[in-house]
Amino acid sequence: MKVGVVGAGVMGLSTAYFLSKSGIDVTVFEQKYLLYGASGRNSGGVSPMVDREELIPFALESLRLYDTLPSEVNFNFLFRKNGYIKLASDEGDAEKIREGVSVLRRFGISSKVISPEEVKEIIPDFNPDSAVLASYCREGGVIFPWPVVWGLARGCRENGVEIRTEARVEKIERNGSRFTVHVNGEKYEFDFVVNSAGAWSNEVSRMVGIEQNNMIIKEEVCVTESIKPYINPYIYDITSGLYVTQTARGEIIGGITGKSVDRIDTSSTVEFAVRYAKGVTRMIPKLKGLAMLRQWAGVYDEGRDGLPVVGFTEIDGFVQANGLGKHRGMMIAPALGKELAKLIERGENSAIKKFDPQRF
Amino acid sequence: MVKERKIVCRCEDLTEEEIVHAIEEGYSDLESLKRYTGATTGACQGKGCLMHIVRILSQKTGKSPDEIGITTQRPPVNPVPLYILSEGDVE
Repeated sequence: MKVGVVGAGVMGLSTAYFLSKSGIDVTVFEQKYLLYGASGRNSGGVSPMVDREELIPFALESLRLYDTLPSEVNFNFLFRKNGYIKLASDEGDAEKIREGVSVLRRFGISSKVISPEEVKEIIPDFNPDSAVLASYCREGGVIFPWPVVWGLARGCRENGVEIRTEARVEKIERNGSRFTVHVNGEKYEFDFVVNSAGAWSNEVSRMVGIEQNNMIIKEEVCVTESIKPYINPYIYDITSGLYVTQTARGEIIGGITGKSVDRIDTSSTVEFAVRYAKGVTRMIPKLKGLAMLRQWAGVYDEGRDGLPVVGFTEIDGFVQANGLGKHRGMMIAPALGKELAKLIERGENSAIKKFDPQRF
Repeated sequence: MVKERKIVCRCEDLTEEEIVHAIEEGYSDLESLKRYTGATTGACQGKGCLMHIVRILSQKTGKSPDEIGITTQRPPVNPVPLYILSEGDVE
């Protein structure tokens, strides 16, 4: 069995890694370089506090994999487990915070509703007037997405996977029961093609005649200069969409949840810089003296119903592995990749039925 | 004897040897080398080090500086404190 994977982000590489662990012959195509897509542009927040109940088991399993994979692939993911805080700045979202905690408790995950004053006990410079309610989960924290991708790539290569960079897939042809994939003037034959192209997944699907219509979301992120470890947990305000934490290198990293766009666009805007600066200095006023060093934008996709799109399609052998969605690609991709590898190997896997691409 | 250490990126305190090592590890295109070593991502955002990194990459890989290119230039041009940005107007 030969599998071609389109897109070397955390989803594509996780799938390739688990397939190759079972001895399957895999080639991965990346249109640019590793980390070009959303897996290289996000802020690395990971937690079981994911907003859709269906995804909690995958967030939990991914956290477990983030513990075990580094030694398996011999690469440190720089995972800082200092917890995850969600904030609400209006009453409607405060109710969502309460519901979120009761759902997590049903899964046996320890988490609690806390007041803004209690957030201040965790982050001393937090402004309690910037939120009405919060929740806290000790599981999770901040992972550095770059070594996750490099580490998975290394594990893949050790298992014999070929990762081709600067290799944009131009055409996919159905060829009997197989596929011919055209890349840089060369042709490759596969039994399965996995579409893990993130924001580019709609385009890849179109190559085999599938109109997928995943939502494309553009999001902007920035970092400040580095300071000593200061903000421990990952903080995400579900009302404003603003999130902030500190990287392993000491930079304060943060962004604002993105909006749906018509086409792929990774341009940076002053509007974002201003909105972020206003929001983050209200949340943690002492940050105001820090300088922003760099801002960037990324694009990712989300399934039309808000859930990932993972599994077999009406075209036998063409497999979706995309649409992972807002605030959760890094949180759920390793586990989804593992389950998708099982689906490809065995031909069925009830664990990911909810994400069936043919549900639409 | 003091080992010769040629600092090529002052913000991130990187030596020429470390850059060469990363290239040998396979991080041999500029964007990957930047991310793996942290070169060009410190306070100077590449103003002080990018040309050194391009030179080393050119010497190691035999590619011309034109072929190597430069990293994506990202705003702001110089670091801007958040309190200044927060004075801006948004819709």
